[in-house]
Amino acid sequence: MLVEVAKTIELAPGGVKAVKVNEKEILLCNYDGNVYAVDRRCGHMNAPLDFGALEGRYLTCPMHSVQLDITTGEALNLPLYHYFGEETEDEPRTKIIDNYPEHVGALFSHIKTCNIQTYPVKVEGDSIKIDIQ
Amino acid sequence: MDIESRKKALRYMFQKVIEPLGYKFSPDEELVNFLLEQEVLLEQKHRIPYCPCQGLTKKRSEDMKIVCPCIPFHRKHFDMMKRCWCGLYVHRDVTNPDELKQIPLYRLKRAKNVS
Repeated sequence: MLVEVAKTIELAPGGVKAVKVNEKEILLCNYDGNVYAVDRRCGHMNAPLDFGALEGRYLTCPMHSVQLDITTGEALNLPLYHYFGEETEDEPRTKIIDNYPEHVGALFSHIKTCNIQTYPVKVEGDSIKIDIQ
Repeated sequence: MDIESRKKALRYMFQKVIEPLGYKFSPDEELVNFLLEQEVLLEQKHRIPYCPCQGLTKKRSEDMKIVCPCIPFHRKHFDMMKRCWCGLYVHRDVTNPDELKQIPLYRLKRAKNVS
C-alpha cells in the first residue's frame, strides 16, 4: 500500500528526512536525485540515523559509526567503540568509572549489527510515497 | 558483513579524502583490490581500517597515524615517493606506478635532509 509521507520540496539533494508512518519510523534519503526509504533506526543500537551523515549512498550512524548502504540496507562495518583514553600507570583502566570500558566492551561483543529494512519508493509529482506492508 | 560491499564503500569514502590532497587510487587495479581487501579484514579485526603495510604499535596516538588514508600524517615522505607507503595511492600525475619505489623515510632524510 502506497502512503504519502512527504513532499519532494522537503527533501534536499543529499539530505535526509525522518517520517513516521503507521508507527514505523522511516528515513527518506535523497541520493543522486533518487529517493530511498530505509528504517530510521540503526541495526546496531537503534540510534536515530537522521542525526548521522549521508555521503553518497552511505549513511553513517551518529552513535558508533556503523555505515549502511541506503540502496540495500546492508550494514557495511562493525561498530566503532568509544575511546576511553590511553591506559597509563598512573591511571589504569580499572580505575575509570568502575571498569566501565571493559564492561561496555564485553556487552558490545554480544550485540549483533543487523541490516536495516528498505522500502519501495514512488515519487508522483511533488509527492513522495512509500510502500509499507 | 560483505567484503566486496565494504571495499566499494571504503573506495568511495577514501576518494573524497585523497583527491583534495592531490592523490588518486593507483592505476594498478589488482593491487588496489588486494590492499582494500586487507584493510577491510583489518577493520573487521580492529574496527579501524589501518594501513595494511605498516605495523601497529599498540599505542593509539601512533596507530591513528596509519589509519588509511594516512597521507596527511606522512605528507612529505609520500610526496617525495609520489605514492603512499603501500602504493594504494599515487600522485595524480602518475601513470605508471611500477616506476615508483618504496623508499624508507630515513633514506630520504639522509639524501635530502627532510624533517
